[in-house]
Amino acid sequence: MKKRALWSAALVVGLVTMAGCGSAGGPGNSSGGSADKLVVWDWKSGEASAAQYLDKAKADFARKHPGVSVEFVAQPFDQYYTLLGAAIQAGKGPDVMLFNGGGQIRDRVDALVPLDEQVAEDKQRLAGWEAFTADGKTYAAPVTLQGHPIYYNKALYAKAGLDPATPATTWDRFLADCAAIARAGAKCFALGNKEGAGIQFWLSALGSGILTAQEYDDWIAGKRDWNSPNVKRVFALWQEAGKAGLNNDGANSTAMFNDSFAIFQSGKAAHIIGLMSDVGHWKDFSEFITPDDLGVMSAPVVTAGTTPSLAYDGGIGYAVAKWTKDPEVAADLVRSLTSTEALKAFYADAGAIAADTTIDVSQGGPAVAGIVSALRGGKPALHVALSSKTIDLMGRLSQQLLSGSITVDEVVKQLAASDQAG
Amino acid sequence: MPIGDTRPSVRPAGRTDPAAADTVRRRVGRGAPGRPRGERLAPYLLVAPAVLIIVVLRLYPLVLGVNFSFTGDGVRNGTVVGLDNYRELLADPLFRTALGNVGWLVLLLPVAVAIPGLLATFIYLRVPGHRVYRSVYFFPAVLSPVIVGAIFNLLLAFDGPLNTLLGSVGVPPTDWLGDPDIAKFVVVGVHVWATFGMSLVVFLAGFATLDGALLDAARVDGAALPQVIRHVIIPGLSRTIQFVFVTTMIGMLTSMFGLLYVMTSGGPEGSTYLPEYYIWIQQGQMNRPALASAASTVLFVIMLVVGLLQIHLLRRAGKES
Repeated sequence: MKKRALWSAALVVGLVTMAGCGSAGGPGNSSGGSADKLVVWDWKSGEASAAQYLDKAKADFARKHPGVSVEFVAQPFDQYYTLLGAAIQAGKGPDVMLFNGGGQIRDRVDALVPLDEQVAEDKQRLAGWEAFTADGKTYAAPVTLQGHPIYYNKALYAKAGLDPATPATTWDRFLADCAAIARAGAKCFALGNKEGAGIQFWLSALGSGILTAQEYDDWIAGKRDWNSPNVKRVFALWQEAGKAGLNNDGANSTAMFNDSFAIFQSGKAAHIIGLMSDVGHWKDFSEFITPDDLGVMSAPVVTAGTTPSLAYDGGIGYAVAKWTKDPEVAADLVRSLTSTEALKAFYADAGAIAADTTIDVSQGGPAVAGIVSALRGGKPALHVALSSKTIDLMGRLSQQLLSGSITVDEVVKQLAASDQAG
Repeated sequence: MPIGDTRPSVRPAGRTDPAAADTVRRRVGRGAPGRPRGERLAPYLLVAPAVLIIVVLRLYPLVLGVNFSFTGDGVRNGTVVGLDNYRELLADPLFRTALGNVGWLVLLLPVAVAIPGLLATFIYLRVPGHRVYRSVYFFPAVLSPVIVGAIFNLLLAFDGPLNTLLGSVGVPPTDWLGDPDIAKFVVVGVHVWATFGMSLVVFLAGFATLDGALLDAARVDGAALPQVIRHVIIPGLSRTIQFVFVTTMIGMLTSMFGLLYVMTSGGPEGSTYLPEYYIWIQQGQMNRPALASAASTVLFVIMLVVGLLQIHLLRRAGKES
């Protein structure tokens, strides 16, 4: 008994003595690879649609650095940031790694090398840099653009007696169209909010028709007024749409990938706020809805005087780890992964709207043409400016709004507090 | 071999003379003649690998995790923050919900134990088709939680077969996984469905030790089934029931991640969060390893309490038997 007490005391003393020593973030400066080999982590290289893209990128890099081999390690996306987080803590992660733009990369810039000098030549050719920028430094080069076009089903419009060529430009007219679509036996929106991500799409796709241009720019710049009537309107509209039955039933238990997309593709809903990267996008939908029946519309104007625009940012991009042996060589690999030839292949095979806007998309059909033409007047997506923590909270609050267990005022209050805390 | 040098391999029963024992201790302490140093060190050498594995692979990571919980995340990475992480945890409604759900699990525990207990009783009492039931009940135990989750996602979808079935008899559809008041019970229910087979096997093993004569006597005395269960089976299986209680509790606290991840992702509205899921989100999605370590330490303490409870219960049961 005495011995057991002694052991317990020793353990407690050990814990107290060590308490606070070291860090959960790990050393972050040890090496992850060798000088003649680069290890790349992503969640794309295992997909057939990315094979040509990677082949082109590898060939381009091999021309520049024939003595350096490259190993791509495809991780499952749902585990990606968990695995990457653990690797970063160990300081022994990959040399080059794929990131989503926004919070995911900004939360991890401590482990990355700024690439401004190395990618200076690509700045004009590629779009979407802002999503990979933190404190004025660029940490990744964009591969695709990610945004939130509102797709609609022209066949359902015709069935409802609406003109498929002229979708609504105002919210009131949109509601009238939704009523006609409901009479035709379909829902207005396909919504999957099981993961709480639906609200992000809603905020970014409809925000430009609700916030004034000044409010929009302030939001992106970090000067967010959560008490503004227009900001509250975003969340009020989300709740009203749910109450009015615009969404498919059971939205809070419907997964976005791929259940809500299936609802849209099967013609059970007329609209969906989708993506423009390589999933949940025009090419996916075109497999079930003919390209001629797939439309892309601007956000309806909710606040008079606003000019709706396409919300988009850099979608995915490759970054270089701080612990890589030769950051210059790793940066060259990033440049090969964002070369025009490689991105052309990614667009052709996966349908992703590439960050290189000089790529010809004229063969893609009306929807992709509409998206690309809207890029010029587009603005960064509103939700990308928020921290991961605030986005996570927003997801849960959006579910509460749909179930009616919280008020819009309480939602903006909680979001403001989270946003302020960073 | 001289008889005088032999030592009994087991301690003789009865009281030992304290003075003699003290003499032996002193002799051993000084290096008893006839026992070379190597022989005395051998036991320590033999247990050294096990001790090393326990210290390096068990205790050190544990201490490291507790240690991390007192450091900061993000810009405060590596700095000592005292109890800040624990304060943040207590202030986080999501973590409080996760702890609250642990309370729900404790409350639902009797149901999770009663189901396999009752079914095992029926199998033991040889209801018609008992062999088939034994296999069928156990079958889900071999399925991965991910597969179980996917199956029930389909069955419980708003426009899924269960609601269609209910609709056919005039019952309005229920959002089984989208209603926060229902979802947590649904997930626990599916967990019980998927895991009670193992508890059932433990119960059946317990039944194997039950004295059949007692049952026969009860039957001869005209006892009804509920009376047999109450007065013969439950007292006879007290140790088994206690064991199943504790192992089921531990299973609920540590093995529901897969189901939660697939079925609800912690939602709706964060209502199905458990500490384990919270830890994963903070570490993997929020990049908050120190906060995750603090949450992990709290879960460890909870598990420690459950573990000590287990030891206490089993010891008490042992004494009773």
